[in-house]
Amino acid sequence: MSGSDRGAVRVFAEYERDFTEQADVVVVGSGPCGSVVAYELAARGKRVVLLEEGPPFTPQDFELDGAFSMSRTMREAGLRTTRGTVIPTMQAIALGGGSLVNSAICVRPPDFVFEGWEENFEIEGTRRADLDPHFDAVEAFLGIAPTPDEVQGQRNLLFRDGCDALGIDSEPIARNARGCRGSGECFTGCRSRAKQSMDISYLPAAIHAGARVLTSLQVQEVLTEGRRASGVRGQVVEPFSGRRSHRFQIDAKAVVLAAGCMATPILLSKSGNLANRSGQVGRNLQFHPGIAILGVFPEKVDPGFGATQGYQSLAFLREGFKLETLWAPAAVLAVRFPGYGHDLKTRLAEVPYAANWDAIASCHRSLGTVRPKRGASLDPILTWRFHSEDAQVLGGALYQIARIFFAAGARKILPGVYGVPGEIHSIEEADVLRTHRYAPTDFVTASNHAFCTTRMHGDPAKGVVDPRGRAHEMDGLFLVDTGIFPRCTSVNPMFTGMALAHRSAAALADQL
Amino acid sequence: MPSAWDLWAVLIAALLLGWGWWRVFGGFPRARGPAGVLAARELAFLAAAADATYPEGGSALPSGTQAGIPAYVDRYVASVPSTIGFLMRLLFFLIEHATLLFAAPGGGGRRRFSSLNAEQRSAVLEGWGESSWYPRRLVFSSLRAILTMGFFSDPAVLRTLHLAAKRIESPVVEADLLYPAVGAHPSTIAHGPEDLGSPSGVPLAADAPLHPDHADPTG
Repeated sequence: MSGSDRGAVRVFAEYERDFTEQADVVVVGSGPCGSVVAYELAARGKRVVLLEEGPPFTPQDFELDGAFSMSRTMREAGLRTTRGTVIPTMQAIALGGGSLVNSAICVRPPDFVFEGWEENFEIEGTRRADLDPHFDAVEAFLGIAPTPDEVQGQRNLLFRDGCDALGIDSEPIARNARGCRGSGECFTGCRSRAKQSMDISYLPAAIHAGARVLTSLQVQEVLTEGRRASGVRGQVVEPFSGRRSHRFQIDAKAVVLAAGCMATPILLSKSGNLANRSGQVGRNLQFHPGIAILGVFPEKVDPGFGATQGYQSLAFLREGFKLETLWAPAAVLAVRFPGYGHDLKTRLAEVPYAANWDAIASCHRSLGTVRPKRGASLDPILTWRFHSEDAQVLGGALYQIARIFFAAGARKILPGVYGVPGEIHSIEEADVLRTHRYAPTDFVTASNHAFCTTRMHGDPAKGVVDPRGRAHEMDGLFLVDTGIFPRCTSVNPMFTGMALAHRSAAALADQL
Repeated sequence: MPSAWDLWAVLIAALLLGWGWWRVFGGFPRARGPAGVLAARELAFLAAAADATYPEGGSALPSGTQAGIPAYVDRYVASVPSTIGFLMRLLFFLIEHATLLFAAPGGGGRRRFSSLNAEQRSAVLEGWGESSWYPRRLVFSSLRAILTMGFFSDPAVLRTLHLAAKRIESPVVEADLLYPAVGAHPSTIAHGPEDLGSPSGVPLAADAPLHPDHADPTG
């Protein structure tokens, strides 16, 4: 890369005054969806400016400590929660967005997900077969491939063994990673540089193709001329402190919002309630609530080694949940250990023998809203209610995880759910997980998969965008993050978001 | 002209207020943490809560204070947005002083959490953690999460549990030629095209050297 090419990226230290730029397209947000659009349009010769509020992170910026890592890479220090039913949910603030700190899972949803979209939301041309060419393109670009056995580690392989013993289909998780070493550090930044997060994959390619990537810029308003989006404006923000300084404006023929399902509706609201004749902006918030169980084995598992999330089972998607293996910074996982005092310390001493597996549930009945706070911040006020029927689905998932643990040889499991025993020692004892009537507040759950706050719908009166991400009532305004999903994907959403963004980029390029 | 009864009433009220103030704010050690964000009374509470959650003995793991939880939380509160930091401090205040209203079991239970004996502190934590009222459990799990993050920040804990990070040499990838470290100017980018490498794909060995931050300083 020559020195002159470095001008295509700007970082906080380079901003010395207010500025204005022109472009064909301005993309807001450098997460997976925004990065795909930026690259695809730049590769087609369009003048692209991509704006990101967070800074780029290099390996020397990664924090090993889970809490401090979150406070640097996540909005609200990673401590954002909903009102109503309290559920933690995170949103990254970094070049590459969530891809910098997720576990790189790339799963294509099954047909029935898209059939449900089509039937319930009057959406055409968005079946799995319609999207497969776009999935293929992203897959080829990122080298998405199943996690190799050599870096799975016991924690993941035991899940496979348990599933095999029960005749449950399972598979190594396909990930956007090349040369993984099994460090289990996906959530704090991949020091091995194996994870193909957007900052080291799509964005360098976009820059090569001519895109300008401007970091540490907070977009505060979408500009319009009549019914056409004409650009954005905002301010420079200092990394970590969030202190605002110089002002900027980008004038463009088209605006692409990829700020995430939490920030995009807020940006629309703060821009004069833009694109909201349907009244759906900020509504329909859905999550994949997740719950993890620890299992303790007679032999050492050494859970610190192995791909962060290496194995999964899609066998229960129609029942409403997906099962996965999981690793995270030890401090984050240890929060799930029950009790305190000597009991807690005794349990923690068993960590080298433990594995952690989780379920994420499709909770169509559990809905919420995203509303703006006062001031310039894009941080939301979130409200969400966990529906009691969806809680039973999550309870059913707990029981299936318990079956797999005991089939794999676990000597006990720690469900971490209020109202059921803290330790369960056999599959017979685990029956309580199947029969218990769960209250939504029984679970210590979390979700970083969020959707539907600017949903697509064939009827402009019922949705914000069409299936290509075009705003129904605005020209030159595209939305391309997971907010446009009409309903959750039942599987990890990143890959679907990227495939849809890939299709939107083609539609936008044709329009320019 | 106030009567003698009025003067007595004012005096008694002043004494009660002074006593109340002392029970809530007084009598704490004066030491502050290295970052100096939390007050001495908050550090005293954290030390008490840390050792109630992670007491000394029982396994090879250190106690909460031996693991440095209060100092860690002090640094952590300083690193989060001020609104969140305020809520954390409110959480500490709530648990520290709740026993002035709802006494801990046993004699002298109507005292601050940090002034209770070890058994009473355990009983108080159990009350929060096992409560049938969801908000109480939420308070307990929030406190325990903060303490647990501090506990696992101790390299000795991580080494004991085989969770210490390995030393990993990051190969130089194209992105490293584009972006400087956070806050730095692009002119500080030291890599050139001749440095480019690629991830090895070689699994980390179980006995690989530890990251300097997690290695045992005594060798």
